[in-house]
Amino acid sequence: MSKIELRGVSKAYGATLALRRGDLSIDAGEVHVLIGSNGSGKSTLCKVLAGSVRPDGGEILIDGKPVTITGPRSARDHGIGIFYQELSLAGHRTVAENICLPDLPATAAGFVDRAALETRAARYIALFDTVSGDGFSADTTVENLRADQRQLVEIMKALATEAPVLIFDEPTSALDRAQVDRFFEILRDLKKQGRSIIFISHRMDEIFAIGDRVTVIRDGETVGTEKISDTNPAAVIRMMVGGQDELAAASSAPPAVAASGRPIALALNGLSGKNFANVSFEVAKGEILGFGGLHGQGQSAVLRAIFGVNPVASGEIMLNGTPFQARNPRDAIRRGCAYVSGDRGRDGVISGRPILENVTPIHYLRQKLKLASPSALAERVKPALEALHTKFGGLSHPINSLSGGNQQKIVIARWLIDRPDVLLLDDPTKGIDLSAKADLFSLIRKLAAEGMGIVLYSSEDAELLNNADRILVFNGGQVRRELTGADRTRYNLYQAAYEAA
Amino acid sequence: MTATTQTPSAPTPSPVLTFLKRPLVVALILIAALLLLGEALSPGFASGQQILRLLIVAALLGIVAAGQNLVILGGREGIDLSVGGVISLSAIIAGNVMNGADSAILPAVIVCMAAGALIGLFNGLGVTLLRIPPLVMTLGMLGVLQGLLVVVRNGIPSGLAAPGLSRFVTQPLLLGLPGIIWLWVAIGLLMAFMLTRTVYGHRIYAIGSNEQAAHMAGVPVRRMRVSLFMLSGVFASITGICLIGYSGSSFANVGEQYMLASIIAVVFGGTPLSGGKGGYTGTMAGAVLLVILQGILTTVHIDESGRQMVFGATLLLLMLFYGRGRAMRG
Repeated sequence: MSKIELRGVSKAYGATLALRRGDLSIDAGEVHVLIGSNGSGKSTLCKVLAGSVRPDGGEILIDGKPVTITGPRSARDHGIGIFYQELSLAGHRTVAENICLPDLPATAAGFVDRAALETRAARYIALFDTVSGDGFSADTTVENLRADQRQLVEIMKALATEAPVLIFDEPTSALDRAQVDRFFEILRDLKKQGRSIIFISHRMDEIFAIGDRVTVIRDGETVGTEKISDTNPAAVIRMMVGGQDELAAASSAPPAVAASGRPIALALNGLSGKNFANVSFEVAKGEILGFGGLHGQGQSAVLRAIFGVNPVASGEIMLNGTPFQARNPRDAIRRGCAYVSGDRGRDGVISGRPILENVTPIHYLRQKLKLASPSALAERVKPALEALHTKFGGLSHPINSLSGGNQQKIVIARWLIDRPDVLLLDDPTKGIDLSAKADLFSLIRKLAAEGMGIVLYSSEDAELLNNADRILVFNGGQVRRELTGADRTRYNLYQAAYEAA
Repeated sequence: MTATTQTPSAPTPSPVLTFLKRPLVVALILIAALLLLGEALSPGFASGQQILRLLIVAALLGIVAAGQNLVILGGREGIDLSVGGVISLSAIIAGNVMNGADSAILPAVIVCMAAGALIGLFNGLGVTLLRIPPLVMTLGMLGVLQGLLVVVRNGIPSGLAAPGLSRFVTQPLLLGLPGIIWLWVAIGLLMAFMLTRTVYGHRIYAIGSNEQAAHMAGVPVRRMRVSLFMLSGVFASITGICLIGYSGSSFANVGEQYMLASIIAVVFGGTPLSGGKGGYTGTMAGAVLLVILQGILTTVHIDESGRQMVFGATLLLLMLFYGRGRAMRG
């Protein structure tokens, strides 16, 4: 009998079906790997189990008995502990306090029992004694720790729940080799004690090193479960890709551009900075270069560094053949560089202001304007909005009156009045409707045809496969593989993305 | 969101009601009501001569509120608490530079405005480079200026207004209105033009609405913010100069009452303290309104401390009112 069983669990956020039919069966004493691409629903499945999301349908059985998990507290009562991917530590408290935070030992009078707390924390700190590095002790304040040390505290905190079922959502992203090895030894010990472990990782080598079974989730549905000993990485990736490989590049994508002979619009040579290292590539005029890979592998960081938002540590950037090092976005815009963020609420929309004022800022800067005459500006703004089939009531209406897709079109229209040489797109279609996406990509291809150099990062593989001439696959902040021509398939994309870092 | 999900049964607001709910209209109606109340309490309160006197006082407040308005529009909790100190300092500098001579008016104006701009520069640099919250930075600056005034003059009245300046502030210049009122009208027109028809104005709203997005669209956010604080310093110094023309000589804390009043005038005029929205026309009405309120309180013999309490309570009430308005817009 399974320790935990999920049957047909579903969850919708508004109109988006995040999880269609999640099935999962975990035995006592196994490490069960959960794998799936961005947005496949594996995180939602874990959140259902951890009680932070209430499912819309389906059932959960623990030790064969149906249960209802009403919240995180109830999950803990049912013996489920979770390691959170987003660090959930209290920065101003010590390592020991953080480890014991979910269940602080108390004295009879209701005060925190310091002695018990220290003893309990010491047990888990000792587990990682050999690999936790300099400056790591029970009374260090967490904010003074390195990223890998914080992740260790996060692991210790999950272990300290002593829950029969432990969920680890990408627990090794910041750890070094020795720390991962030690962590795996501990997991094997837990396994021997009969504990169940759900393990999410994007590193194929880790999955095959520690897992007993693997369950693949695709588009919100459980595709299947295999024994690790009976399968191999290629087979797992084929399960993730499903039958979608056939609709890959060749049929729908434009022919790959022969970069030779065309002038280079943007070139990076060994660029390094926070969250990315040694990135080199060239984008020719008229070319769409795709950035692929799992979310948060440095794609966005590289684009933001080129645009002058984040600093560059080393390496060089050439724009139209001349060295280019933007001090800030203003500098980059002046030099003919454009950037569209997927987080339009934070980086794009000037909320509460008229549509007109949301389209004009780049025009003001490029033309060094001082006066803003509404009628003269309207003439410039209207063609830019029409190029994207933007629906709006009037230029004086506030931008908030539009739908998400139309707001993003307004933000993109900014760059169409005074055309840049290089357009950096940082997951530009996040959260916008299908027709807006179609409008956007037809524009992007038109801009490329007119000679603009375009870099497109997208978390949706289909967008990359259908639009990019070449795809650079990022993993761990570095370019792992370049896919060109007929190589641009979903299978190759996944394989490169999940390769060992 | 409420607008998009409106059900057919929900009554559509009538145009009249929408019109009446505009902050400027609310302010104008309140102004008329308060004038009637004042007239009822003390006949002669709403006489032409008295209204003119109220307008002069409102102009003094309105000019400093223009700078306050700009700083608040720029967002990131923008506020300038040092305006009172700048007014006092400017009044003392102007009085001493002029010392009763018409020929020294221009130098006095230049020196005062330069001093105001310099103080604004310090405020702006503190807020942008050192990342000190505006509330703390300008409060600290106010403390420094108050200390400076005590050291320099020890609170003793000093300096003398030039007769030309006094005439400008108190005597009719054109169409029976004194120069300061025309100056205020000119500032009002300039502010309206700047905020709606210039790139600078659009950028003020942009940084006040979404600083990060403005930065990503190439707006020099820091430079903008510093310039707003400098403009606030300059506007406060103009009020300081006019104030000595109004009262003849200056004493150390002459500007103190303007700190709270300038903020209330802005908020009353429809510019929320969160910035990014509003304008100066409403602030002008807000200034007039406050001055009439002050006149009524004086008429019913409420002293300065009582008036300050009423002002403080007014600001809190306004925040309550606008806080709810924001929730409704969201």
